[in-house]
Amino acid sequence: MVIWTLAFGCCTIPIVGWVSDRLGLRYVREWYSSLVIALAFIPYILLIRLVARVGVVVYPIPSLFHSILTVDMVSVFFILPILIVGFASSIYSTSYMSHDTGLNSYYTLLSAMILGMIGVVSAGDFFTFFLFWEVMSISSYALVAFRKDRWEPVEAGFKYLVMSSAGSALMLSGIAIVYGIAGTLNFAGIALAMRTPVLASDPWLILAISLIIVGLGIKAAIAPMHTWLPDAHPAAPSPISSLLSGVMIKTGVYGLLRFYILFQTLHAYWSLILSILAFLTMFIGNLTAMFQTDIKRLLAYSSIAQIGYITFALSIGTIQSISAALLHVFNHAMMKGLLFMAAGAFYHATGSRDISVLEGVGRRMKLTGVILSIGLLAIAGMPGLNGFVSELLIVSAAIQQELYLQAALTIINFVISVAYYLRLLQRIMLKEPRSDLSRVEEAPATMIAGMVILASLCVFVGVYPSMFISISELAGRVALDIGSYITSILGG
Amino acid sequence: MYEAILVCSVALIAVALYGFYSKRHMIKMVISVEILVNAANLLLIAFGAYRAPGYVELLPQSLAILSISSAGGVTAVALALILAVYKVYGTVDVRKLRRLRG
Repeated sequence: MVIWTLAFGCCTIPIVGWVSDRLGLRYVREWYSSLVIALAFIPYILLIRLVARVGVVVYPIPSLFHSILTVDMVSVFFILPILIVGFASSIYSTSYMSHDTGLNSYYTLLSAMILGMIGVVSAGDFFTFFLFWEVMSISSYALVAFRKDRWEPVEAGFKYLVMSSAGSALMLSGIAIVYGIAGTLNFAGIALAMRTPVLASDPWLILAISLIIVGLGIKAAIAPMHTWLPDAHPAAPSPISSLLSGVMIKTGVYGLLRFYILFQTLHAYWSLILSILAFLTMFIGNLTAMFQTDIKRLLAYSSIAQIGYITFALSIGTIQSISAALLHVFNHAMMKGLLFMAAGAFYHATGSRDISVLEGVGRRMKLTGVILSIGLLAIAGMPGLNGFVSELLIVSAAIQQELYLQAALTIINFVISVAYYLRLLQRIMLKEPRSDLSRVEEAPATMIAGMVILASLCVFVGVYPSMFISISELAGRVALDIGSYITSILGG
Repeated sequence: MYEAILVCSVALIAVALYGFYSKRHMIKMVISVEILVNAANLLLIAFGAYRAPGYVELLPQSLAILSISSAGGVTAVALALILAVYKVYGTVDVRKLRRLRG
């Protein structure tokens, strides 16, 4: 199981780090951490084969009150970007973090965060979900404020901590109410209970779902709960920004998707709330990103806008739209992970995140500049790269349901976002340097390696989208087929 | 029985929200978070009592214990952060922490 590999890594990284520090060996801990994450791909591939054969794999956790991990096609689809971005950021950290101290705790927290995210997406009941949710949250609080002697990370980290832990507490209240109604914490059990009309029309359920949406929405940075994101993501070290923006906010989306399916009778209410929030999120994200002067803040606001597209696709609730949302989750993880790493490479070389200082830096750092251009063109939706595929699928899913106004608003948002992506591209790559960049050198090889992994996937998905589209359609179909989910977990 | 716990829990949520909006001391904000978590724990206990009157339900209680322990972790990180903020800014007043505009 993928989780055990990473849990083993969490336990052994501090020991390996301590021993290699004592022996004076450099980079042992870094390579060991990357190796552990790479090794996690082996049980993952075995898991895919198992899921393809039996549909839903159930792992009971003994002695923990019937808590289970259930892995189906949706979980498998979410684990893939987590592992890829996790592996890329671990490699990238090797040289990006080499001047920092406390690296033993850094790599332990990094693998704990990946472990938490994988646990969240493969949880089979609220108990396990909440356990891994907290593992993920606590390690990400510590990682955001990792450089604790500067003002920005500690301020952003505190803001993130207070908002996010209040959100977790509200979500726990929602879970408590759901327990009071359904009498179980198992997802399949709750879905079964919701088939009873008396329980499903309980007025408390609306309150419970609102609380759960607030809790998940804070983590997924859905407006108006998004205010921590544009502070926390730029303040974190760049590999962590790419993990946070690429995959951690998607665990909130996973929760929204999973619980959307559980509460079948409330689909109308849930869709209405989600679509209103989605458009608010898109417009706030895109319009604010236009005016940013800090490259990482710009990317953070663009993440908010992308979450808006994904939430909109979820709110439509058909197989097409959910598979489009899933594909966009994967694509956005690749693109945004790449962009944050490229921004981090510029910051590493120049010491600045101000776009006016970074003007023309692509002329000095050609390789990083080309990789940044791939990411920016992909996220702007250029045909032939991955962003175009899933953005087209989202809009076409909306048009199939005759939601013309919503589709038009989404396209307006795409156009707005193209404006600032291309302007950023032009300023970084084409303009003459305004400040003195003569001492700027190309990023180290390990940083380039981390970015190349993600960039090649961006190009690959863009050129051969059919395989990924069919996998995401399969996952979307599995996600909506709640009947067979219940029977395969609870039996009969 | 469970009604009384429910009322307590709602009261605690109100106290926590009041704390978020009125207090500007960082440690008091962390205390507000703690109160909110405890309100959620009480809610779990209350609904456990509602499902099985006169008995103890294991599942919500174990979830409450999990939540208490994770809140301990959150508080530890929060206090460490407050210490770091105090070293950098020389104050623990959140009004002074307004350099980020989010």
